[in-house]
Amino acid sequence: MKEKLRTHIETLFSDAPNTKKAIELKEELIQNSYDKYDDLILEGKTPEAAYNISAASIGDITYLIEDLKKDMITVREETIEKGRKRSALLVSSAVMLYIMSIIPIILLSEFGLEIQGVVLMFVLIAAATGLLIYNGMTKTSYKKKDQTIAEEFREWKSENADRIKARKAISSALWMIVVVVYLLISFWTMHWGITWIIFLIAAAIDNIIKAIFELTKK
Amino acid sequence: MSIASDILRGHTEGIILARLHQKDSYGYEINKAIQKITNHTYELKEATLYTAFRRLEENGCITSYWGNETTGARRRYYSITDTGKETLKSLQTDWLQTKTLLDRLMEENPEKETPED
Repeated sequence: MKEKLRTHIETLFSDAPNTKKAIELKEELIQNSYDKYDDLILEGKTPEAAYNISAASIGDITYLIEDLKKDMITVREETIEKGRKRSALLVSSAVMLYIMSIIPIILLSEFGLEIQGVVLMFVLIAAATGLLIYNGMTKTSYKKKDQTIAEEFREWKSENADRIKARKAISSALWMIVVVVYLLISFWTMHWGITWIIFLIAAAIDNIIKAIFELTKK
Repeated sequence: MSIASDILRGHTEGIILARLHQKDSYGYEINKAIQKITNHTYELKEATLYTAFRRLEENGCITSYWGNETTGARRRYYSITDTGKETLKSLQTDWLQTKTLLDRLMEENPEKETPED
């Protein structure tokens, strides 16, 4: 009969979120009901009667479960909001660095320091690209909170979304670098007629990266 | 007992705080104490009890911890905080006032009882 009591409470909680709080509350209720059941048996009640009284004394827990659900939603929204703010900060810093990267060239070339200007520009571009990639890789992913199939599916989807994000970050960085390399090599060698090949190579590399991501997908 | 149950339910938090003011306790023990005090005429539904626990915990009136029973059954104990003690005091004062008022309101001839009002 005690097992039946546990099953009854498990059924009441079937709609509850799978959070630590909810599981603890369920265990508390089960323990309480067991205690009550044992006492009723000691008073001389039949197991059936003891089960019925214990089960009936639980009452309507819909409100409690709604409360538990509300808790979970607030936590999730907080994490998402935090992630969004961080991401916005990283992206805007990166864009700012990109824009500012030409300033050293303009300023330093006034003093005949072109090389130093280019070097500084590359440092700034590298920093900005690093920020973008870091942001793409660490964006808050959907945290596993439940064991249900729906949750697992969502997590699986989110994992894939992470991979797509990473690939896009790498790809955009690649194209940025390619443009810079193209200009640099072209100015250096002055072979403008042939250096455009770099873009074809870059396209090939981009596709190879895409293929690697596809192949390593779980 | 149905009218009394309704009134009692409205004071669940005060009833629980009063129990916890005596000693730390767990759900079933509190309910058993309530039954004993009321001569088995009143007991809380678990749902009511735990809704009140949650509310009290959110308001900082009580804290909880897992007991370390040796007999296997792990129980969550609740303990009253200083905020809880203050809340209990004000709930008790409120109740005394309400009781006095109700006593007078229920009186068939209140003017006669308290002519100075």
